[in-house]
Amino acid sequence: MRVSVMKLVMLVLSLFCLAQDVAALEAPPLKGRINDYAGMLSPAAVRSLEQKLAAFEQETTNQVVLLTVPSLEGDVIESFAIRVAEAWKIGQKDKSNGVLLILAKKERKIRIEVGTGLQGVLPDITAGQIIRNVISPNLRSGDIDKGISAGISAIIDATKGEFKATAADKKAAKKKKSGYGLFLMLLLAGIVITAIAGSSSRTAGVVAGGVSLPVAAGIGLGAVLWKLGILALLGGAAGLLISLLMRLFNAGGGGGGGWGGPTIFYGGGGGGSSSAADSFEGGGGDFDGGGSSDDW
Amino acid sequence: MKRSVCSILGLLLLSLLSGCGYNTMQANEEAVMAAWGNVESAYQRRNDLIPNLVEVVKGYAKHEADTLKAVTEARAKVGSMQLSKEVINDPSALTKFQQNQGELSSALSRLMVVAEKYPDLKANQNFLDLQKQLEGTENRINVARERYNKTVQVFNTSIRTFPNSLTNSMLLHLKRKEPFKAEEGAKTAPKLKF
Repeated sequence: MRVSVMKLVMLVLSLFCLAQDVAALEAPPLKGRINDYAGMLSPAAVRSLEQKLAAFEQETTNQVVLLTVPSLEGDVIESFAIRVAEAWKIGQKDKSNGVLLILAKKERKIRIEVGTGLQGVLPDITAGQIIRNVISPNLRSGDIDKGISAGISAIIDATKGEFKATAADKKAAKKKKSGYGLFLMLLLAGIVITAIAGSSSRTAGVVAGGVSLPVAAGIGLGAVLWKLGILALLGGAAGLLISLLMRLFNAGGGGGGGWGGPTIFYGGGGGGSSSAADSFEGGGGDFDGGGSSDDW
Repeated sequence: MKRSVCSILGLLLLSLLSGCGYNTMQANEEAVMAAWGNVESAYQRRNDLIPNLVEVVKGYAKHEADTLKAVTEARAKVGSMQLSKEVINDPSALTKFQQNQGELSSALSRLMVVAEKYPDLKANQNFLDLQKQLEGTENRINVARERYNKTVQVFNTSIRTFPNSLTNSMLLHLKRKEPFKAEEGAKTAPKLKF
C-alpha cells in the first residue's frame, strides 16, 4: 500500500516536472517602446530612450523596442524572442521594419531579433557585433544604462538609412492619435446630452445613450458596422443608468458623486484612450527568427 | 430572362462552394506551400553558408580532416536531394529530407565542437561572424519549421472536418500534408556555444 502511494506521488511529481519542462514563458504585454520588466534601467534612461525611439519612428517608421525580463524560467531566449515578436508584431506591416532587443537578467542573455525588412541593413553579423562589442562589455562592467543606450544607438545607426517616413506615414500617425482625442470629446458630449435627456425621461436617456456612443465611436475611431450595434446596446444601457442616476441626483439633490456611475461605465473606452495619448503598438511587422544572441 | 436565371444559379453555386469550405481549403493549402517555401529557403541559406565555414576552419584546423569531410559530404547529400512540392504530400520523402538535414546538422555541430580546440580560430573575426550567421540560420530553420507545422495542422484539420471533408472527397482531392516530427535527440544535441 505504502509503496503504491509512493509510486503515485512520484508519478504526480514527474508529471509536474514534465509540465514544467514544456511550459514556455508567455510574452508579457507590450507597455511601450521600453518594457523594463526586470527593472534594469534608471527612470531617466527609460525616459530618454522612450523619446529617442519615438523620434526615430517618426523619422523612419522603424520600430525599435526593448524588453527586459527577470528570468527566462528555463526557456531558450531564441524561442522566447520569436514568441514575443509574433505577439507584439513590431514594425510596419508593409515594411516589417521592427527590431526587438531582449535581455534576460538572471540568465545574462541578450538577443537582438530583427524584422525581415531590416535584415539587409542589420544582418545577423551586425547584430552579433552590436551585442559583442557594444552591449556586453558595458553590462559586464556594470553600466547597464550605458550598455543598453549604446546598443540601441547602434541599432538606430545601422537601420537609419533603410526607410524614410513619407508624408502619408506622418499623416496616418497623426490621424490615429487625434482619433482617440475626437472620440473622447464626442464621448464627453454624449454623456452630457444623455444626462440632460435622461433627467427629463428615462426613455429619452436610453435613446440618447444608444445613439451617442456608436456615433462617437464611428466618427472618432471608425468602428466597424457590426460593432456599432453592440455599442448602441451598451450606450442604451449606459443611458438608462445615467437617467436613473440623474433622477436620483435631482430627487435627492445629492453631491456630484452621481457622476461616478457613468464615468466608471465609460471607463472601458476612456481608460484605453487616456493611455492612447502616447499609445504605442506594433504595426504588424514580420519576423523570421533572424538576429543574434549572446551572453554578457 | 434565361441569362439572369443562369447568373443567379451561378451565384448560388458560388456561395454554396464557399459555404462548404472549397475556398478555405485552397487558401489553407496555399499557406502550407508558402510555409514550405520558407523552410526550403532557410535550409538553402545554411547550405550556402557551409563552404565559407569549411574554408575558414580548414585554415586553422588542418588535423580535423574527417570532421570537415563529414560536413562536406552531408552537404553534398542534402544538395543531391530532388526536391519538389510533392515532398510535403509524401511522408517518406519528408522523413528522408529531415534525416539528411539532420545528418548535416549533427556534422555541423561536431565541427563547431572541434573548433573549440583552436584558440586562434575562435579569435578569428571571420569565423566569429560565420558562427553568428550559422546560429541565425539554424534559428530561422527552427522558426520556419514551426510555422510550417502550424499551417499543416490548420490545413489537415480543414480537410478532415465536416462539411469540408465532403467537398474534398468529391471535388478537390487534396491530400493530407506531412508535418515535421520532433528531431530525435533534439533536446540533447550539442548547442553551438563558445
